[in-house]
Formats: sequence, C-alpha cells, structure tokens
Amino acid sequence: MRIVVCIKPVPDTAARIKVHKDGARIDPDGVKFTLGPYDSRCIARAVALKGAGEVVALAAGAAAGEAEAKKRIKDALALGCDKGIFVPDPAPENRDPLAVAKALASAIQGQGGADLIFCGRQATDDQALAVGPMLATLLDLPCVTDAVGIEVTGGSARVQRAAEGRVETLEVTLPAVITGQRDIGDEQYPKLKEILAAGKKPIAEHKVEWAAAKYAVAGLVPPPEKAPGKIVGEGPDAVPALLNLLQTEAKALAL
Amino acid sequence: MQPATAAALDLFNPTEAHEMLRRMVRDFVQGEVEPQALEHDRTETFNLPLFRRLGELGLLGVTIPEEHGGAGMDAVAAVIAHEELSASDPGFCLAYLAHSMLFVNNFHHNASAEQRARVLPKVLSGEWVGGMCMSEPHVGTDVLGMSTVAERVGDHYELTGRKMWITNGLIAEGTLGDVFLVYAKTGARISSFLVEKGTPGFEGGQKIRDKCGMRASTTAELVFERARVPVANRLGEEGDSLMHMMRNLEIERVTLAAMSLGIAMRCVQVMCRYASERHAFGKPLREFGQIQRYIARSYAAWKAARSYVYDTARRMDLGRPGQRVDSDGVKLVATTMAKQVADDAMQVLGGYGYVGEYVVERLWRDAKLLEIGGGTLEAHEKNITKDLSRAWQAIVV
Repeated sequence: MRIVVCIKPVPDTAARIKVHKDGARIDPDGVKFTLGPYDSRCIARAVALKGAGEVVALAAGAAAGEAEAKKRIKDALALGCDKGIFVPDPAPENRDPLAVAKALASAIQGQGGADLIFCGRQATDDQALAVGPMLATLLDLPCVTDAVGIEVTGGSARVQRAAEGRVETLEVTLPAVITGQRDIGDEQYPKLKEILAAGKKPIAEHKVEWAAAKYAVAGLVPPPEKAPGKIVGEGPDAVPALLNLLQTEAKALAL
Repeated sequence: MQPATAAALDLFNPTEAHEMLRRMVRDFVQGEVEPQALEHDRTETFNLPLFRRLGELGLLGVTIPEEHGGAGMDAVAAVIAHEELSASDPGFCLAYLAHSMLFVNNFHHNASAEQRARVLPKVLSGEWVGGMCMSEPHVGTDVLGMSTVAERVGDHYELTGRKMWITNGLIAEGTLGDVFLVYAKTGARISSFLVEKGTPGFEGGQKIRDKCGMRASTTAELVFERARVPVANRLGEEGDSLMHMMRNLEIERVTLAAMSLGIAMRCVQVMCRYASERHAFGKPLREFGQIQRYIARSYAAWKAARSYVYDTARRMDLGRPGQRVDSDGVKLVATTMAKQVADDAMQVLGGYGYVGEYVVERLWRDAKLLEIGGGTLEAHEKNITKDLSRAWQAIVV
C-alpha cells in the first residue's frame, strides 16, 4: 500500500510568536519549528499500516521557509517514512488553504498517486482544519475527519472517528483522505538508526502551478498579554491573602 | 565535511544528524525522563524500564560502528546524549554513561569478533546492564596500585580482589548488574576481563547507600573470590589493558564533562525564569545587581565550558589515546563550573532552591560527584601538568 502523509512545519509550542511586519502573518524569523503533532501521529499510523508498501511524506509550500520545510521532511523520514516530496512555493505569503490543497493534489497525482492519504486534523498554527477535506474534494475521494483509529482490509478501511460523545466506525473505500486526531497513532521518538538512515532517503521536488489565494489575511493581532503573576507571600501565612485575591480580583472562587 | 565559512560551523550540532539526535533526546527527556527523576532520586533506585527505552532508541551504542549494531557516531554525539539527559536526570545519565561508555564503548574497542558477537546484541538492546570495575576500596587515583589479581589456571583465570564504587554494580536490592569489564593485575601488568553475573566466585558486596547525589544510579562494591573467568573472556592480550584503560578514560571524562554541561544549562534556565517571575521590593529579581552577577557569570561560564567540551569532542579519535590533556581539561573546567552554577541557581532561588521540587537542589548534589568520579580534580591537575611539561610547546599554541 502506498500511503502519503501531508505534513507542515508549525512553530514549537514554546516559541515566542511575533507578527510579521507585513501585518498579515507570523514572522518565521527566529521561530523554532517542529513537525505538526497531528502529522507525526499520522506518520506513526501510516508506518504501521504500510506493509510491503511505502510511506511518502509530502510538504507543499514554504511559509516557514524552504529549508525549514525540508528539515521537517527529514524528521518525517526519521520517523519511518520512506521518501519525501517537497513542493516549492515562490510566493508563500500569498496562499490560502485551497491553494495548498490544490498543490498537494497536483503533487499526489503527479508522483504516483496514493492508496491512502493522511493529513493531521489541523496545523497547530493557523488551525484552519480545511486542507484535508479540500484535498479529498479536489481528488474526488471520500474523506473521514478526526480519525482516532484505522484498520485496512483489501480495498477498504474501517475508520474510527471521534464525534461528540461517541466514537463512530465508518467503512470507507480506498483511496481515501483521513485526517488524524491525536489518538490516530502513538507519540514516538525517532530511533537513532532511523535518524541516520533519514539522511540517505530521497527527497524529490515536485513543481506545481500555484493557484493564487482567494482570500487574504487582512489583519492579525496577537492575543492580549497576560498580566504578570503575583506572589502574595510565603507559607501558610499567605493563604488568607491568596484566598482574598482569588475571590475579589481573579473571581476564580465564589464569595 | 568542512563548513564553507566559519559562521557555517555549528559547534554544538555540527551535522544535521547531530541536531536531530539532540532534538530526539530532548523530546524523550521531556516526555519520559523528567517525570520520573525526582522520585528515583528520593528512593535511590535505578529505572531499568527507562534504561531499556534508551536501548530501543539506539542510544546505548552511539559510538559503536553500524556493522556491529550501533549508530557509528562520534564523541560529539555521545556528548549530546549525556548533556541532554543530564539537564533532567544526571543520576540516571550516570548509569547510562557507566553502561554505554565505560562498558560498551570500552568493550567494543578491545573485544574480539567472537566476544562482540556474543555480548554486543545484549548490551546494545539493554537486555544486559553493564559496568566497569577499576577502583578498589583502597585504590582510586593511584589506579596502578590495584590489588585485584588474575591468575591463569589452565583454560581460565581466577580473579581475586574487591572493586569499589561500581556504578550499575547492583541494579536493585540484591540484583547484580549483568556484565562487567574488570581490570586486574596479571603479574606486574594490567589485563581486563569480561565477567558475567553468575560467574562462580563473583558476588555483590555492599550496596552504597545514602550518597549525596546521583541517587538514581546504583553504586556497589563487588567481590571476586577466585572468580572463575574463562580465558575466552580476556579482552585483548594478557597485560595489554593499561592502554585500554587510558584510551577509555578519555571519552569517560569528556562525557562526564558533558553531564556537567546539562546540569549547568538547566540551572541557568531555572534561575533566569525565577529571576523574572519573582519580585522583591516592587521589581523582578533580575533587576538587582547582585542577582545579575549570578545569572551573567553562570551563563558565561557555562558557555565557555560548553565550547571547550564540544571543541575537544569534535577533535577526538575514539580509536586511540593521546588526547588526555584536553579530556582531563574539559572535566576539570566543566565540573567545577557546573557545581558553581548549581550553587548560584540555588542562591537566586533562595528558600525554593533548597527544596527538591525546584530541581536545582538535586542538580547541586549531583554536580559534586563529577568532581570526584571518573578522575578527581586532583588527578586532572596532575595529568594536565604532566602532559604539558612533556610537550607544552606543541600544545600551548
């Protein structure tokens, strides 16, 4: 089975985010990026499912910079993907999820297709939750979102998805696009041997005609800064003052 | 591979694989090492399941060639692994060092093909926990004065003596480590032997209790009473092991120095954060000159030692001795630096620094051992001066 996992570099959760001077995006300068956490869980599942096939890590666009995108493909290779495909983007600041989905669809069609396509349920930076379903639509494939489990038998898959208050099991014909929740695969660390092997695995470049964005970010403001913490004292003597502040100032306790 | 410009050299992550190794260990530490560190320090216990996770990740054979089941990486990679583990749990890292550097790396260099095939798979996976036996109850720095002897009797040797301060000697109450590299005198010269648990005449002695620090690694005395070791378990030729010992002490000291770097890095992080969050007299602690002195000096001392350790590691050839002046040099500088930085961190944190929950108290206790184990500061001073007096014109340039 040939499985494609679409990946995206996202800022590390501990990264300090600044708005770019163009006012419409995050400034990638000085930000530490990582592989999206849902992406890496999808990779874990894909590698477990592939059998005699292969897992391809696909990254389109370079909002974080081209070098960054290629490093994250390397991370995916170290987690057990067999090869990488990178779709360069000459104008990464002018993209919306539809443009990215079109680029991914073109790369998948142009690079041998897929029996199964995984996307993380969302990129943890812009949180559009859009690319996976759009990609399925463009490829005219079924799409199961928020999957927490999957087994493949022959030409179909049983997919568990987390719905409100219940877990649904769906039968879906393959190929299909699956967007993975956290539980789709285990958290894993790359093994040292896989890290060394990743350096020898191929990364192909696939050029596409990028579509222009049909929407643009008109404004971007960071969330309001949190007020600094307060130390009201030390030991049991400080408890009355703390209780008072929790009630009157933070309003976290009922009076 | 030489970087094209001086600016292109990343001393701490010289290749992409080094950078990925660091990130992998750091993520693993955050996910699995940090949550257990305080508890194992308190209970003075070695976390064997966690140790075996290191085997799964391939970290037990960082320096072992790929064809023998390891990662085939260099001293810099070993430094990265020890530095990152020690930023969280130096005690656990010391058990890792005793296994992967003192046993696995040492064994690999001196073992025959047959011995490697027999032992490496078990120690690279973590199925077996290994250690190395050099010090004795009455012999430390003066190692050539060791009194453990090995007498050849037909197709085996009989080892008699006591070895002291053996990390991984007993990995739990009454449970011996699985395999040891033991130095012993054969006549006037030193030989080394592979001694497995279950060898007749080989037993655990006392488990060392109530250590100041490094409590997540176990330390024991081991007893050899005419322990019957097959000739097939001798490493190299009889009498050849002084060179083995000297060669392995170099990577041992560099990785112990790396542990100091991890301790200091964590302490600098902790003190920076606390000095920003804690206020006194209406402003954060970091605005006070006395606190600035601790933070700034700690940072600069850590960075200076870190540069020296990594520069020494990148020059190291693990296959030969002869780098002692700097392997002793980095341990002298980095261990004293880390102890001071941990002390400064504790001072910045005041009362909080003195309790376990805020981490630096544990790191402060752990840091002290590194001035003693693997060569005392005094041994490093002796060695460095001796090496310089022989060839300072070639070294101090």
